[in-house]
Amino acid sequence: MVAAALAIRARRHGQRVLLIGMVDGAGIAAHFGAAIPGYAPREVRDGIFAMTIDRSQALDEYLHLQLNIPRNAPLGPLSKGLDVVTEAVPGIRDVITIGKVIHEAEGSWDLVIADAPATGQIMSYLRAPATIAQLVPTGRVRDQASWMEGILADAGRAALVMVAIAEELPVTETKEALAALEAEPLIAVAAVVANRVLSAPGFGSAALEDLPPGPHRDAALLQTSLVTDQDEWMEELRPDVMLPYLFGVHTAAEVAARLADTWEAAS
Amino acid sequence: MTAAILVTGGGGVGKTTVAAGLAVAAADRGLETLVLTVDPARRLATALGIERLGNTPSRTAGRDHLWAAMLDATASWEAIVHRHATPDVAERLIANEFFRAIADRFPAGQSYAAAEQTAEFLESGEWDLVIVDTPPAAGGIDFFLAPGRIRSLIGGRVLRWLTGAGLPGRRRLYRWTTRPALRAADAVLGGHLLQDVAEFLMDLRTIYDGVSRRARHIERHLRRATSIVVTTADPAPLGEAARFFRELPAVAAEPRLIVFNRSLPREWMLPPPPVPASGALKKALEDNLQRWAEEAQRRHDLQTDFATRYDTELGVIPWLPHPPTSLDELAAMMDVATGLDLAALDVPNP
Repeated sequence: MVAAALAIRARRHGQRVLLIGMVDGAGIAAHFGAAIPGYAPREVRDGIFAMTIDRSQALDEYLHLQLNIPRNAPLGPLSKGLDVVTEAVPGIRDVITIGKVIHEAEGSWDLVIADAPATGQIMSYLRAPATIAQLVPTGRVRDQASWMEGILADAGRAALVMVAIAEELPVTETKEALAALEAEPLIAVAAVVANRVLSAPGFGSAALEDLPPGPHRDAALLQTSLVTDQDEWMEELRPDVMLPYLFGVHTAAEVAARLADTWEAAS
Repeated sequence: MTAAILVTGGGGVGKTTVAAGLAVAAADRGLETLVLTVDPARRLATALGIERLGNTPSRTAGRDHLWAAMLDATASWEAIVHRHATPDVAERLIANEFFRAIADRFPAGQSYAAAEQTAEFLESGEWDLVIVDTPPAAGGIDFFLAPGRIRSLIGGRVLRWLTGAGLPGRRRLYRWTTRPALRAADAVLGGHLLQDVAEFLMDLRTIYDGVSRRARHIERHLRRATSIVVTTADPAPLGEAARFFRELPAVAAEPRLIVFNRSLPREWMLPPPPVPASGALKKALEDNLQRWAEEAQRRHDLQTDFATRYDTELGVIPWLPHPPTSLDELAAMMDVATGLDLAALDVPNP
């Protein structure tokens, strides 16, 4: 959702943007009211392109590039064999996914935004190049892994935006990832974004005690207790950017556009 | 016979909470109930009395019939290997770093461990009901596909292509690199990697027959189980929920129920009664209810659309002021939930 909002915002600044679904493209599709993007980038809105990484296709593309095989020539059983190897070797799968993102980022786009896996899994993706470099003493994969490590670590070329809602699990996972990145600076953290932030209700819980039961009181109580819990987790998260909860917004496309507006206003 | 409920859905929708809530409700009806979770939030884990990973269920404090366990995928895999391999192969496999990777990181590895654990609990006959909080994975449906994917990973079709028919001697491995395709692959992957992987896969190959039989058995358990899908009214989990309804029937039983978590009262959508306040408070209360009424409307529209489109029963859990963090709060949540009737989920009476 935030990735889509970032893409819309960058487009408004005249950039040619590629949005990449690293896990699946369903979210991107919903936010642009488009079909689920495939492996080839397709324009989902004027100036915004989208694609979904398919690991087998990324592996095939990689092998064609590496082995200098013409793009359409079949790899046959080699690719099938390596498919299994990539499942068994820690990090290869993740390196190929991250590698595809970096490959696109080195291309002609002004900005490449990757809709990354859940926060709990992000470290294993970011560590993948280092894992590979350890496992593989020589060879092209190793060289590539080192090259990727360099690009990810270069704050001028890559950065991480972490998004969380102010609840126990997402905040805990975000803090764990931030602590891990402090110890192991694999990538710069550009911003921590709190999403779906409820605003202070304009009434204290004391004022509600005298109210008779009914929807006004119930909705007010829900608002105050959610805000109390939220503030406790916000204190832990300490976000750089806060995006508001959008009440009653029906379509995902509308959500992304409205968040882009808010982001614009906040910066 | 032990009944099973598999709780599926996207990340962050309260899947673990729903699984635990159903378990508390069942235990309170006198059913010996076990809930198997994967990585629950800490407060909920504390409520269930499971602070650490462990495949041995422990009885929760405060509920006699309620048991809980938190999946330890690595331990499950070690047990699987010990069951199916000769002692020296088992030792070699467990020490292998590729093996660790499959157990911990290969998504189907974790899902398979959860499925294996589920099957063991069902077969033990110690419980009337086993509820599984399925592992979150890209596409979610992984849990149901894991037995098949594990079979094909170690199934030897690729290995047969690599090594020729049957189980080759280890020495043959060293002649591999004479194959042109492998020479190319070795150039890409570097040095010994392919050989290491091959040795590993060959060790794994020796447990294929045992694991394969077992995996088919587990698949049958999963097909017989009742599955339910949990979601909130947010785009990402709704998309995943829809995917379960589209794809699950091909690999398991059709989901019995869609559970919408964080629902809002219908009455908020009606024209509001007079505001029992004045001045600034009156205005703030009116604005607040108006916002929540729009949200309630949106959530109800989505719930109804979903249940109609997929022709399924609808379970609804109200948006609670605080997420439940104790067994009593879980029981209270089940009291205000609708459509989560255990009888409708094929759970027998005690």
